[in-house]
Amino acid sequence: MAEPMKIRALLKGDVADIRVLVAHPMETGQRRDAAGALVPAHFIQSMIVTHNGKPVYEGQWSQAISRNPVFAVRVKGAKVGDKIVVSWTDNKNDKRSDETTVAAG
Amino acid sequence: MKPANHFVVLTAAGLAIAGCAGFPDAETTAKSAERMVNEAHTLGAPALIRRSVQDDSQRACSMIGGTGGGANLSQEQSAAIVKAARDSIQYPASGKLSGDWKTGEQLVTDGRGQRIVNGQVEKLPYNGALCTNCHAIDPKEVNAGNVGPSLAAYGAQRGNSEAVARYTYERIYNAWAFMPCSNMPRLGASGFLTPEQIAHVVAYLIEPGSPVNIKP
Amino acid sequence: MKFSNRTAVVCAVAMALTMAGGTAAAQGKADDGLALGRKMLAEDNPGDLWVERGQRLFTERRGPKNASLEKCDLGMGPGVVKGAFAQLPRYFTDTDRVQDLESRLLTCMVELQGFKREEIVRNRFGTLDRDSDMEALVSYIGAASNGLRMNVRLTHAKEREMYKAGEYAFYRRSGPLDFACVTCHGESGKRIRLQELPNMTKAEEMREVIATGWPAYRGTHSTVRTMQHRLYDCFWQMRQPDLGFASDLSVALTTYLNHSANGGEIKLPGVRR
Repeated sequence: MAEPMKIRALLKGDVADIRVLVAHPMETGQRRDAAGALVPAHFIQSMIVTHNGKPVYEGQWSQAISRNPVFAVRVKGAKVGDKIVVSWTDNKNDKRSDETTVAAG
Repeated sequence: MKPANHFVVLTAAGLAIAGCAGFPDAETTAKSAERMVNEAHTLGAPALIRRSVQDDSQRACSMIGGTGGGANLSQEQSAAIVKAARDSIQYPASGKLSGDWKTGEQLVTDGRGQRIVNGQVEKLPYNGALCTNCHAIDPKEVNAGNVGPSLAAYGAQRGNSEAVARYTYERIYNAWAFMPCSNMPRLGASGFLTPEQIAHVVAYLIEPGSPVNIKP
Repeated sequence: MKFSNRTAVVCAVAMALTMAGGTAAAQGKADDGLALGRKMLAEDNPGDLWVERGQRLFTERRGPKNASLEKCDLGMGPGVVKGAFAQLPRYFTDTDRVQDLESRLLTCMVELQGFKREEIVRNRFGTLDRDSDMEALVSYIGAASNGLRMNVRLTHAKEREMYKAGEYAFYRRSGPLDFACVTCHGESGKRIRLQELPNMTKAEEMREVIATGWPAYRGTHSTVRTMQHRLYDCFWQMRQPDLGFASDLSVALTTYLNHSANGGEIKLPGVRR
C-alpha cells in the first residue's frame, strides 16, 4: 500500500492553487541496487485530479519525473469547501487516491 | 526546583567563579574525548581504525579555538612541526619535479580517494589530488572551492624554473614545512599522493602550456 | 473550465530537475540559482512525507513487544514530542548517559518495542531500496518543535563533559588528510567546490544551521537525513573510519554543536542539496 499524498488547495481569487506532494519511488528502470541488479521500472503512469467529481487534470506521467515529486495544478472557478481528489495509478497497477477541500488562501 | 530555575542558578554560579559552571578541566576533557574517539570506530581492519590516532604534529595542531595556520603555537612547537615536515619530504626517483601537466590536470580536479564505508576503502586505481575542492585553479572551472587561495595563473606569475618547481613540489608534498598546521593536507607525507603524482600536479600549475597559465 | 495539463507537468519536471541537479543552476552567481532551488523545495518540502510516516510509526504498536513509542521519554516526559528536539542532547537517568535524538530513539525502540539494536542500526540510513524508520521518526519529532527555540541546557555534569569532549573533537585533527571539523567549518564564506560551509564557530550561523536541519530532506539522496548521518558523512569525507551510530563521540559533537545554536528558531525538517 502506497504512502498517502500531501495535498494543499488554497483559493486565490477564483483559482484554487493545488499542490500535491506525492510519495512514490518513481524508479526509472535504469538504477542498480546495492547488489548491482537493475531495479525494475516503477513509476506513476496516470494522474487524475477532480474538482467536485469532475476531472480537471488527466496526465500521462513517465520515468522522467523525480522520486517523491511535487505536482501543482491551478483550477479556475473554485470555491472554498470544494472537494479535490487526486488519484494516481502506476505501472504495477498500484493505486492511491487522496482528497482535500479547498481552503481560503 | 524547575529545570529552568536550575539553569539560572548554575549560570549565575558560572559567572561568579570564572570558567566554572562545573566544566571539566582540559586534561579530564582530553582523556574522556580520546576515550570516545577510541570507541567511536569499530568497522574495518585495524589499519583503518588507526587513522583516528594522531601523530605529534596533528596533536599540536588540534588546539581548541585554533584554526588552520597554527597561530596559537609556541615557537618550539612550530619549529618541531616544520622540522618533521621537512624531514618527511621525498622526491621522485627520476629527479624530475615537474611531470606531465595533462596527467596533473586529471588529478587536480579529482576529489576521490581513501574514503571508508562499512570498513571498506573505496576501490580506485589511484587517489585524486583534491585540489579544486579548495582552490580555484583553471580560470574556466566554475566548480572550485575557496577554502584555499586561488592558484589561477600560478605559473604565469612565477615561471617554471627549477626553484619554482621545487618550492611547489615541496609545498604540495608537505604544506606544514612552510606553514605549520595549515588547513592543507600533507599529501605526500601521508602517502595520499605518490612523488610522481605530485610532480604531475606541479607541471599543471607551472608549465606554460597548462590551462592554468593561458591568458583568458 | 480549462485543463492545465501542460503547466502542471512542466512544474513537476522542473521540480525533478531541481532535485537531481543542484549544481546546474550554479553558473556564475552561484548562490542565486541555488537559493531559488532551495526556496522552491522548502515550499513543498518532501520531508513532510517523512514527518507523516514518522508520526504513524511513533503511535503504531510495533515490534516484538507490540508497543508504540508513546511511553518513550525524550526528555519532556513519556510520549511528549513537543519541545523534545529543542533540548537534546541531554542526560537520561535510566541509561545514565547523555543521548541525542537518534540514540534516545534507539533506546526506546529496543527497550519498549523489543527491536534488535543491530537491526535498527543497520537501517539507520535509508537507501533508495529501503526507507529508514529512524529517519521518519526523527523528522516527526524534529517537526514537533517547530516554532520553539533551541535550548540545550548542560545542567548535568555529564552533559558538560559531553559538551567539552565535543568541542575537543571539533578541533581534533587526524587521518591521512589531517582534517578536523574546524578545517572546513572555522571561517565564514567558505566553500568546498560549490558547497557552502557554515562557520560552526559562529553562533549566528549555527542557530540557522542546527535549527533548520538536521533532520533535512536531501535532494541528492531522495530522503531525509539526520544529524547522525551528517556527522557520519563528514567523517567519511575526512577519510576517517566509519563513525559509530549513536557513539559517544557523535553525541559529544552534537551536544557541542546544538548548544552553540541555542536561541535558533526551529523549522524542521530542513531542505538541503
